[in-house]
Amino acid sequence: MADKNQTGSVKLEKSDINKVYLRNLFTLQFGWNYEKMQGLGYAYVIMPVLKRLYSNDPEKMKRALKMHLGYFNTTPAMSHLIVGADMALEEELGIEAEEAITGLKTGLMGPFAGVGDTLFIAIYRAIVFSIASYIAMQGNPIGLIIPLIACAGVLWIRYKFTCIGYQSGRKLATGFADKISPITEAASILGLTVVGALIPSVIKYRTDLQFTMGEVTFALQDMLDKIMPSLLPLGIVVFSYWLLGKKKVNSTKLIFILIGLGMVLGNLQSMLTFVAGLF
Amino acid sequence: MQGVSLLVVIALILYTVIAVVDQISIQCGLYTPLFAAVITGALLGDLPTGLIVGATLQLMTLGVATYGGATVPDYLSGAIMGTAYAIISGQGAEYGIGLAIPIGLLLTQMDILGRMTNSFFQHYADRCAENADYKGVERANLLGLLPWVLSRVIPVALGLIFGEAVVNGVNAIIPAWFMTGLKTAGAILPAMGMAILMRYLPIKKYYPYFIIGFVLIAFGGATFTVMAAALIGLALAALHLSRARERAAVQTLDEEEVEIDG
Repeated sequence: MADKNQTGSVKLEKSDINKVYLRNLFTLQFGWNYEKMQGLGYAYVIMPVLKRLYSNDPEKMKRALKMHLGYFNTTPAMSHLIVGADMALEEELGIEAEEAITGLKTGLMGPFAGVGDTLFIAIYRAIVFSIASYIAMQGNPIGLIIPLIACAGVLWIRYKFTCIGYQSGRKLATGFADKISPITEAASILGLTVVGALIPSVIKYRTDLQFTMGEVTFALQDMLDKIMPSLLPLGIVVFSYWLLGKKKVNSTKLIFILIGLGMVLGNLQSMLTFVAGLF
Repeated sequence: MQGVSLLVVIALILYTVIAVVDQISIQCGLYTPLFAAVITGALLGDLPTGLIVGATLQLMTLGVATYGGATVPDYLSGAIMGTAYAIISGQGAEYGIGLAIPIGLLLTQMDILGRMTNSFFQHYADRCAENADYKGVERANLLGLLPWVLSRVIPVALGLIFGEAVVNGVNAIIPAWFMTGLKTAGAILPAMGMAILMRYLPIKKYYPYFIIGFVLIAFGGATFTVMAAALIGLALAALHLSRARERAAVQTLDEEEVEIDG
């Protein structure tokens, strides 16, 4: 392609894109801080591009560095799409496109984090790590291989994201969200089926409470099992779910509540015997 | 009872460094309490305890992730120390789970401290940018790894070196009813992981799939495993996806027709 003007003349090479991909994988969050979050990391990730384009022009380099050191935060897996699009914009238009690049970064990081946190963190963990833990609980370490295999798949997806982002530049902003929403829905369905299955298979709590009425002794657990197996584990999960919906309850508080509940449930029989002994 | 040998302490410190890098980069899983407890158990010669501590902590913390950079308890360090204490005290996995949780909660402060320290490197990079010093900016980001690593390695190293003293101290204090309660708490704590996931996933829209999964195992637990439920979930997800594609195809057709009519 013939040179259009000064800014579009320097082209990125394949090795630049690969360098950016590797930096994006590993170093985006090294410098994470409360002020700019992934800002410092982003500047490091995009640096091979800046070196290629602006290393002969300190004034442009200064502007580019300041721009990329700004606030940035999104799901790391999704950041590849933004970084890819940024590469394309900067290659074509250079630092003159400062506003467009900043707009692209800040405009996409929010929506992408929304999709990415659900898909790559919540659902991914619900499926991959719950199955690995379930196998580990049976006393078998082989399940630990599942997250490693899944991770290889994610690394491939992240590479594809870099390429897709680079190729489609700004166009990706609108099209990508539409394409990905059925996938998120499908993954949610899989995730919820697994969560439902995990409750009876993982939470094995059974009450040992017994009532003696005259000559007959009732075991509470037997009566509960006749209504539905795993009724108590389901009840405890629904109770926790309900508590998390309250504004004042976060996961840390929930831990204390559940430990307290465990203390009570574990000692319930002896507590009741103690109370009964008072009369 | 024996302490932890120096070689094992060094191995676990090296593992912690790798795990922290995993946690803030590709998240392949080395950073999770599951891997931490299993690796600690293997190094201390008691894999079964490591598996139970790791699996329980993992299930409990399934939904606890750093969304948008929020600080969460440091269950990586908690799992390493909890597993180590369970093994050197010979008290069993529940004891380890019971200790890992408060340790993880306590170390939340170290995570916050590390992230605050990194502001220093951000400021350093901002100053370098004024002089177009891109190498300085690169250096700043790489140095940002140090607070992350130190905030995990220092407590793990101290906890393992003084492990025996900690275990003895804890044993002297804890009464029997507390241990019984802790065992029950360990059994019900995974409920938290499930509940958080239910908050994150669109359960109000897709609750029928949740019921399918639950009923499969609650009533058919003798026949079905979680893997079976996951495959059924996969089939249902694939059905949903193909229906969504069909709907999308019909929509595009409609739009094209409108254009032709116009």
